[in-house]
Amino acid sequence: MILPGPLLILGLPMGAALVALLLMPIRLLSVIKAWLVALTAAFIGVVVALAPLNDAVSYRSFELVLGRPMYILGRGLVVEPVDRLPIAFLFFTAAGLFILAWRLIPRSNFFPFGLMMVALLAGALMVEQVVYAALLVEMAAMLAVFPLHEPRRRRILPVTDEGEHPPKETQDTDTSAPAQYSPRTQGGLRYISYMTLALPGLMVTHLLLELFAIFPNDLGLLQSSTALLGISFAILLGALPFQSWISTVAMDGSPPVVTFLFTINLGTVWFMLLAYLESYTWLSQQAAFGPLFTIIGLLMMGVGGALAASQRRLGRLLGYATLVDNGAMFVALGTQQVAGLTLMVMMLIARPLAMGLMAVGLDGLRQLGGGEDRPEAMRGGAWLAPWRALAFVVGGIAMAGFPISLGFTARWGLYRILADENLLQAFIALLGSAGVMMGLISAIENLLTDTQHPPDAVYPPDVTPPPPSKQRRRPRFKEDPLVVLMIILLIVTVLGLGIFPHYASRIARQLAEGFTFLAP
Amino acid sequence: MSPFIAWLNRASALASAPAAWGIFLTGAAIYLISEWRLRFLLLLAQYLFVGIIFVRLFESRPEMALLKILVGWLVAGAFLISARFREQTAIAKGIQFRWSSHVSFRILSLTTMTVVAYLGAQRYTLPFIPSDLALACYFLAALAVLFIGTAEQEASVLGVGVINLLTALDIFYSARDPGLLVTGLLVMLTLLVGLAVSYLTVAEVYEPSGGGST
Repeated sequence: MILPGPLLILGLPMGAALVALLLMPIRLLSVIKAWLVALTAAFIGVVVALAPLNDAVSYRSFELVLGRPMYILGRGLVVEPVDRLPIAFLFFTAAGLFILAWRLIPRSNFFPFGLMMVALLAGALMVEQVVYAALLVEMAAMLAVFPLHEPRRRRILPVTDEGEHPPKETQDTDTSAPAQYSPRTQGGLRYISYMTLALPGLMVTHLLLELFAIFPNDLGLLQSSTALLGISFAILLGALPFQSWISTVAMDGSPPVVTFLFTINLGTVWFMLLAYLESYTWLSQQAAFGPLFTIIGLLMMGVGGALAASQRRLGRLLGYATLVDNGAMFVALGTQQVAGLTLMVMMLIARPLAMGLMAVGLDGLRQLGGGEDRPEAMRGGAWLAPWRALAFVVGGIAMAGFPISLGFTARWGLYRILADENLLQAFIALLGSAGVMMGLISAIENLLTDTQHPPDAVYPPDVTPPPPSKQRRRPRFKEDPLVVLMIILLIVTVLGLGIFPHYASRIARQLAEGFTFLAP
Repeated sequence: MSPFIAWLNRASALASAPAAWGIFLTGAAIYLISEWRLRFLLLLAQYLFVGIIFVRLFESRPEMALLKILVGWLVAGAFLISARFREQTAIAKGIQFRWSSHVSFRILSLTTMTVVAYLGAQRYTLPFIPSDLALACYFLAALAVLFIGTAEQEASVLGVGVINLLTALDIFYSARDPGLLVTGLLVMLTLLVGLAVSYLTVAEVYEPSGGGST
């Protein structure tokens, strides 16, 4: 029996997700569920990256031909050579995030829904027509809201008035009292709205391009297509003025799921954009292409940096850091150079590492604040959850593109390319990154404020100061050793790739070489 | 073609222009009336009108139009259940939702959008579809913009806006390419929107037995 590649890439994750969904009610099997999903994603990633495209790989009576197309009601799905590394990137990133989520949100519905989403997004890259890709991306967006706003148990009650150590059962998820918090769902609602608003442009573009094939002299059709595609991708990527969904999702959503959305969903949209620029060469050949991308990118970096600098909430800071990073990617593409494209892909590779660290940090710090990330709830958090604070800070530095991190290497390359052409543009881009760093410094200051040992209070002469044992103390965060290990591994990887960036840049170059719409 | 289908096509051709106005009027009432039981009935009526439009689009396959109606009704039911759950929780907690707030603003924005949609349909004719169906597309898109843009705090109303936009797109796209795959995917997407919005409506007021907060 000969299996086409797309059948394996879509079918196996969907099957595994169904099994994981059935395992959801059984608490004891949450480890199996998480690892089943992670290993499935990793397996698909390995197959897509390493299996020969046109030769069969045999296993018993099955033969897999990765490059063989699959047809559903006459519409084709096929793994093109240019799709292989992007699809592998999506599955490997998903596998890493599932392992991270195994310790952070072990009983979440993120595992089955996440695997379904990554399969749909891979389908969007494999399908030939714009309209089906758009519908698959939209379906993945709808699935995302279920894990994004999942009611969760509190691990730690926010403040205790007595004793240094709270009762043990309030510290652990599995044995805690049934205290829970329900999420604000505005982020999910806004995400659904924006993704749907992006859909008409993509679907109508498909019709207009069909018409253009019939009437090749009607250039108005091309202009309309360009405008519609541009607006749709601007909404999908959170470009100005459609950026509000990014910060709202980051503020309200579960951190591991937010990371998934900002790396895998947004990554897919970036790869789709590159694929369209490759397929429809008239898009990238328009005179306004380079300047438009550069202006949009610089605006995003400038506005994102300014908003990040004044931001005190950690979730929103993550959102604005993503906005700046997306802006940098727009600017890199706007350079219309192969080096710029390579840098853009490198930023895409660097993002899961940096944002994964921020997500681990934010998740722990939010639990410390009883589900909140307001400055008051976060004050002194670094003394109570030092590993989580460290993860957030290192991840934030990498997202801001400051040394030593892989993000810095990519951003530095971008500043150099920009400075060769226009020094002002390089300066604006640098200011955007500095804005994120300023917001991060403000967050560090708040996290390091010592609330356990406040300065001696001044009491009136007739008031007796309370004994130290009665003073308000916040419980220390009970850290999971495996999470600490993950944090250390991620920090080492981020710093290691920052010091030796050639490993990542080689992969980025390989990925970028698949796209030939920019002349070398 | 069977006599029944021929009769159905003639009837839908006659009824499609009133159906476009029916879609608009039911949508306007959903926007202005706060009670979810009434909104549910209006949404049922709106999808009946949508079905009339689809009968005209799927000339030889009226079962596809029936499918669209059933999916719309299913989503309406999901919205009703989740909205009632939310209202009950709010009453239990002593919070009063002011669904009908800013009615004058809503009337003003509705009037503006109606004029824009009507003039848009007159001035910018959509390719591939007859003018009465184009009017339905414009009305649905205008309602979607209103619901999404001004009713973000009401999850279910926002959900109605999202499915209205998908329906407008479905009508426009099906006129050109009434293929099974796009129709099937749009049906799945509409159901997913219904599930996702209902989930979000309920998740925000989720209250376990032992305590918690909204």
